[in-house]
Amino acid sequence: MNKEYINIALADDDEDDRFFFTEAFEDLKIKNRVSTFKDGIELMEFLEKASLLPDLLFLDLNMPKKSGIECLKEIKASSKFKEMIIAIYSTSSSEEDVENTFVLGANIYIKKPNDFEKLKKVLSEVVTTNWQYETSGLNKENFLLRL
Amino acid sequence: MFLTPSNLLKIVFGLGLFVILCIGGFTYKHINSLSESTEVVKDTYNLRSELEYIISNLKDAELGHRGYLLTHDSIFLEPYEESAEKVNNNLLRLDTLIIKNKVQRENLNQLEVDVASRFAIFNKSLNIAEDKIILSQELLLLLHEGKIKMDRIRNDISVMLVYENKLLLENQKKSEQALGLTPLFLYGILVLTLVLLLVAYAKINRDLTVLSETNEDLEIFKKLTEQAEVVSKSGTWIWYVDENTYHFSDNLYKLLGVEPNSFEPSLENLFEFIHEEDREGLGQEVNSMIKNEELPFVNYRIVQPNGTIKHFKAHAQLIDNGFEDKQLLGVTLDVTDEFDNFKLIEERNLELERNNKELSAFNYVASHDLQEPLRKIQTFISRIEAKELNNLSEKGQFYIDKIKSSSSRMRMLIEDLLQYSRTNKSKNDFKNVDINQLLEQAKQELSDSIEDKNAEIISSILPTMEVVSFQIEQLFINLISNSLKYSREGVPLVIEIKHQEVLSNDVECLQKSLFKYHHKIIFKDNGIGFEQTYSKKIFDLFNRLHGKSEYSGTGIGLAICKKIVDNHHGVIIAKGEPGIGASFTIYLPFLK
Repeated sequence: MNKEYINIALADDDEDDRFFFTEAFEDLKIKNRVSTFKDGIELMEFLEKASLLPDLLFLDLNMPKKSGIECLKEIKASSKFKEMIIAIYSTSSSEEDVENTFVLGANIYIKKPNDFEKLKKVLSEVVTTNWQYETSGLNKENFLLRL
Repeated sequence: MFLTPSNLLKIVFGLGLFVILCIGGFTYKHINSLSESTEVVKDTYNLRSELEYIISNLKDAELGHRGYLLTHDSIFLEPYEESAEKVNNNLLRLDTLIIKNKVQRENLNQLEVDVASRFAIFNKSLNIAEDKIILSQELLLLLHEGKIKMDRIRNDISVMLVYENKLLLENQKKSEQALGLTPLFLYGILVLTLVLLLVAYAKINRDLTVLSETNEDLEIFKKLTEQAEVVSKSGTWIWYVDENTYHFSDNLYKLLGVEPNSFEPSLENLFEFIHEEDREGLGQEVNSMIKNEELPFVNYRIVQPNGTIKHFKAHAQLIDNGFEDKQLLGVTLDVTDEFDNFKLIEERNLELERNNKELSAFNYVASHDLQEPLRKIQTFISRIEAKELNNLSEKGQFYIDKIKSSSSRMRMLIEDLLQYSRTNKSKNDFKNVDINQLLEQAKQELSDSIEDKNAEIISSILPTMEVVSFQIEQLFINLISNSLKYSREGVPLVIEIKHQEVLSNDVECLQKSLFKYHHKIIFKDNGIGFEQTYSKKIFDLFNRLHGKSEYSGTGIGLAICKKIVDNHHGVIIAKGEPGIGASFTIYLPFLK
């Protein structure tokens, strides 16, 4: 990650959550570019065409038209996106969802915090993680991000 | 094995028959010998009279002879010649009478010689006498000689008579000896036969009593079977394989909805009642029954004449005792009630499944959709607090504070409720776990609160147990956090955890348990305690003993504890004393 800024994408059908997300990144002292999508279809269309792929993709699971799980499957099926770090960004942390997304190859699972300060903390943690190092030691215990 | 009652009877009769045959044989033999000895006596008598005839005839001859000598009248020669012939006949008869006896034969020969020489003397003297009227010297000599011969003959005859008398006596003695025992012998055998017949009679009598008792029992058994058939809604039937005929019990007819014996018991007539859809299947079963002489369990429906459909179940087994004809004994059961109940249970199961699905859908809604707006409210509040708090009046800030505490309470409720609904029975998750480790994890989870309250947890060494580990960890978390929540102001909290193994019989609340041993784990604190009257109530869902403002809590924590212990087939008991402390005793069974 030697670029000047980090390319970040978020797919979430909830307008408020997209608002919190962009606001949080504005507050963080990290150079970034955030693009948001309101469902899975919009996200996949963007990814197909994009010349510059996001470094980090945040995926909500419960979305209309195309769910986060479907997007995750498509992304993992294509070698084009193998460099992309995928963070699941969901309201629930049901064991079933955590297990499924881990198996499908997501890098981390974030449960949406109910406090803005916490949100900022979580996002900065994810952005500053050295993923090249982390991915070499994938394990389920660290998959669900706890703060 | 050999001496069965019927065999014994056969032996007794056989003996009786044999004895009677013996008696017949003996009697025949004795009568035979009796008639033989009579024959002997008759022979002796004949012999004697023949001998006497000889003397008498010889005397006649002598008389005639003398008359002639005196008168020379030929009239006297006539009896003389007759007697000569008679004597000859007598000798011939004697010859046949004594043909077997050697001694008498010799005697007879002697007699014959003597008689012949006597007649020779008669003839000689007659020849001499013909010429002269006066008796010559020669004639006198001949007369003397004749007298001597006559004496000799008498002697011969008396010898024969004596001998014959002797024979007769011997014979008499012998037959007396033999015949003397005969009546006693016959009587004895007769008595024996009578005894045997009496024994046989007694035996038959006894057997008849047993037979009639057995018959009575059979009659009772038959009645009971009929009753049992009615009560159990079953019917019985017999297939006489060799004759290919059937017998149906009365209740079988009743189960078909008709009067007993209202139709000829046959397969064809029975098939009239079979439900159309089941005819083919049952037909195949019956064909294989005819082929294999056995009927495995088979289910089918019948239609009673009034249109009612009944479910039947039949089974039959071949009885081949080797003597009688082969019989296939069958039982048919009316399983309609069973079938209906099964259907009802199935329906209820489906309903339960539906309910469960609804419940899990509700869980999903609660976890996602209820939490989402709440999370946003909380996040926006945190935004206001961070950016706009200074722009608000004091009252506005107070309201924001209230919204904040209400929404966090709402979050707690939702999370606890979810926790409660997720605490379900899951059989497969039972594993052998070190309970100490679960307690350590629970302490770790609550480390902040434990530190805040400056609480001390003293625990003895806990065992390894067969449990659902995450549930037991949750149980420990809930119990410890309950103690932490209800600690006394100003008194350092001490929680004691003890373990003990107990026999289920020794503990009152475990009397009905299926398990022999239980682990007893006690959590005891020195908190505010509670009134003992509430010891059961505190485990009810949403039940709280204190106001929300005094102590935070949802009233779900202990309900979860109860549910977890129930899942582990255990018992949880609470004891409290206000101002002194509370203790929770958990009994968990040894599952292996």
